[in-house]
Amino acid sequence: MAVSSFRSDGLNQPELTFGQKLASLNWMLVLLITMIAGIGFLMLFSAANGDVYPWAVRHAIRYGVCLMVMVTIAMVDIRFWIRSAYIGYVLVLALLLLVEIMGEIGMGAQRWIDLGVVQLQPSELMKIALVLALARFFHGVSYEEVGNPLTLLVPLLLIALPAVLVLRQPDLGTALMMLAGSGAIFFLAGVRIWKFMLVIAAGLAAVPIAWQFLRGYQKQRILTFLDPESDPLGSGYHILQSKIALGSGGMFGKGFLKGSQSHLNFLPEKQTDFIFTMLAEEFGMVGGLAMLGLYVLTIAYGFAIAIRCRSQFGRLVAMGVTTTLFLYLFINVAMVMGLIPVVGVPLPLISYGGTAMLTMMIGLGLLLGVSIHRDVRIARSGVDEE
Amino acid sequence: MNPISRSVKIDGVAKQAIEIGRNRLLVAGCLIALGFAAVGGRVIELSALRDHNEPNVASSSGTTLTTGRADILDRNGMLLATSLRTPSLYGDPKEILDADRAAQRLVTVLTDLNPAEVAAQLKTERRFVWLKRTLTPTEQFEVNNLGIPGLHFQDEWRRVYPQGPLTAHAIGYTNVDGMGLAGLEQAFDDVLRSGRDPLRLSLDLRVQHIVREELARQIISFEGIGGTGVVLDVDSGETIAMVSLPDFDPNGSGDIPDEAEFNRASLGVYEMGSTFKIFNTAMALEEGTTTLTGGYDATNPIKISRFTINDDHPKARWLSTPEIFMYSSNIGSVKMAMDAGTEAQKTFMGRIGFLGKLPLELPERGRPLWPGTWREINTMTIAFGHGISVSPMHLASGVATVVNGGIKQPITLLRTDAPGPGERVISEQTSHDMRRLMRLVVLGGTGRKSAAEGYLIGGKTGTAEKPGGRGGYKKKSLISSFVAAFPMNAPRYVVLIMVDEPKGQKHSHGYASGGWVAAPAVKRIVERAAPLLGVAAVDENAPEIRRELMIEVPSRGGKRNATF
Repeated sequence: MAVSSFRSDGLNQPELTFGQKLASLNWMLVLLITMIAGIGFLMLFSAANGDVYPWAVRHAIRYGVCLMVMVTIAMVDIRFWIRSAYIGYVLVLALLLLVEIMGEIGMGAQRWIDLGVVQLQPSELMKIALVLALARFFHGVSYEEVGNPLTLLVPLLLIALPAVLVLRQPDLGTALMMLAGSGAIFFLAGVRIWKFMLVIAAGLAAVPIAWQFLRGYQKQRILTFLDPESDPLGSGYHILQSKIALGSGGMFGKGFLKGSQSHLNFLPEKQTDFIFTMLAEEFGMVGGLAMLGLYVLTIAYGFAIAIRCRSQFGRLVAMGVTTTLFLYLFINVAMVMGLIPVVGVPLPLISYGGTAMLTMMIGLGLLLGVSIHRDVRIARSGVDEE
Repeated sequence: MNPISRSVKIDGVAKQAIEIGRNRLLVAGCLIALGFAAVGGRVIELSALRDHNEPNVASSSGTTLTTGRADILDRNGMLLATSLRTPSLYGDPKEILDADRAAQRLVTVLTDLNPAEVAAQLKTERRFVWLKRTLTPTEQFEVNNLGIPGLHFQDEWRRVYPQGPLTAHAIGYTNVDGMGLAGLEQAFDDVLRSGRDPLRLSLDLRVQHIVREELARQIISFEGIGGTGVVLDVDSGETIAMVSLPDFDPNGSGDIPDEAEFNRASLGVYEMGSTFKIFNTAMALEEGTTTLTGGYDATNPIKISRFTINDDHPKARWLSTPEIFMYSSNIGSVKMAMDAGTEAQKTFMGRIGFLGKLPLELPERGRPLWPGTWREINTMTIAFGHGISVSPMHLASGVATVVNGGIKQPITLLRTDAPGPGERVISEQTSHDMRRLMRLVVLGGTGRKSAAEGYLIGGKTGTAEKPGGRGGYKKKSLISSFVAAFPMNAPRYVVLIMVDEPKGQKHSHGYASGGWVAAPAVKRIVERAAPLLGVAAVDENAPEIRRELMIEVPSRGGKRNATF
């Protein structure tokens, strides 16, 4: 009756059948995700001037594969994930190290592992691995223990290791996203507010010191952000063109495939980081807001799943994934509209790029899994029921 | 056990953790909502609240973005005036190292400049002196090759008239700063400056060319000092052609001689002479004091105070109305006018538009001259076109009204696809009678030289003596004209040709009258322009056309003399 491969032996709570799991899968969420990916397909079609090649068709294929990965992950018992959280973390950390050692140079920074057929970006996967590891950690400690500063040393180390490696690549955007995502988990796990204040104060104090360690282009980006018109043909070019294209869309946009700023290549990186600009140029304010609306709904589902989950692990995973999705979206959209400095963060599920999509879909698979297994109780140890 | 367990047993600490977790979830939710509000607001700000114009990449060099004056087109879309971006040369005396040497070198390229003047300009204390406006690309290249520091170019809009002098009087011209100074350029200055849409005129470039050529031919042939030619659409009031000679090239930078700039067609007012008998006869027929079968005794000249009114081609007998018109009898015309009365004449002249300026768009419009106190003697002279001066455009407009069925349509230089209802001046019947009378002039009267086979021209000649210095008339200074309409069975166009001071020639046996000077030009214009205007030649002897234009010319108390 049960699909044996999904059984997690050694856990004493009986597992749901495969059919029951499939039935309780949050299909609305799957639909939302598919709609967002569909927008991605349309925009990549437009980015290639009305051609499915080179981007749109691969985007669609990747989505199809990732969809299966997502559903499969959702089906796996949540107790499997808590048990393998640390192992996964260690594996991804090892991959990050590998990048450090033998990563290929891509776009001026070492971020890729060439696996022959696929190029893997371990820093992306680390976002999810970190969420799982932190969730497992905080699942295992009581509220009182969280209050003990010494307890926090372990999760801080969990964050620090990948963050330093990612910074060394160097990839400031991903490092900051990891910090922010982890911060959210710390916050939700009940870490005392004053500790956050302390960290924020320390962080601000460290800004002048950190500035010394920033790479030239990173400094330039921040300076450009503060005054994009200072260098309209250099670093400020991206953001000025982006704002022009966005503004030229107006209320209802210029129409599909008619975004002149994008199609005439005034807009750089239109198939990846600046795809939102193109969407807003072609579909206007209404289109941009509609797309944001889809994300709002997705994130609202994430919250609902977190609230309804009984286990601390599940809740933290759900929130970690949701926060990661939000950070992706917010950083990307805020960046292309000149609200924050340019950091290379793609628009989740829409931008062209395999690893980011895989990361997000694994995360969403976990979210769906949490939703299915919301009533499963998990022991403190993560291995046995109390 | 039920897989979805409803029994929850949570110890106190765990409960507290979950509560805190839920509170913090709420806080996180609020933060995320704030984030969405921020980006959503930004989307609205950037796309809906900002100016949507994309920057003009082609003009990013910092030059001004002004567009030139709008184009002017003829009725078929041919370009009459346009604006080109051209460089102008200016100097910055502060940057000039050696003004004299710079001037010497500059004039080797721009030969029309005076080296002394240029040097003087370059020695001033100002930072900006125009050296030459609107250079050609070659000139710009050569000046650049000189490599003189302190010389700069500024792009300016230059008004270009591809047709040269052809439409000079209608269009006028602009000054170097693009301000309309004459003609339609002045009249529509604001529209042309701001508007992107071209101004569409009623003129037909092809007809304009024909009129100008034929008019020029007659002026040369008869040694005239000038002339004017007009073609009007009788139904819409549109001016198809308007030529005044001598003319000028509006592209030229030099001063335009007053004589050439003067628009004889609309600004000049002239005593038209016998062509006015069209209006005199129409007025008398309309009043009912004269009929086509009636007539007047033209045996003796009319003496009034110190004047004697004679006929140029005296028949010295009783003349029927058609004969009076056909032979252009002054005596008969005066008697017609006297029967109708001074008041009727004045009213008629007013209604047909001869007592005020034309409603034409041009700034150059002449005010007709007419007697302040309209006495009997005035009535008499006005009967044959003296004592009242109107512009040739007035005359053409009046004839259009007489022949088109009696409707006065305001004349215009702009293309009009849907003319207004107009204003009735004479009855349909009078208009029809006048067409037949005008046809008679061409068939058997003074306008025979205008008979273009198949186009059923009808018209009236005019040969007026120009006023002399002391209130008299100069016998040798004539205004010879012919005003016609065609085809007379259903008139579509009025053609007016007027030559100023033609001299009698050997080939004209010494004559310089309207019939000799102007009528042949009208004939050729109609022959050349009618096919372009979509008027086909017809068989003049076809029964239905003969019936339409048939007129009996009675003689001696009702005895039939001839039928045309």
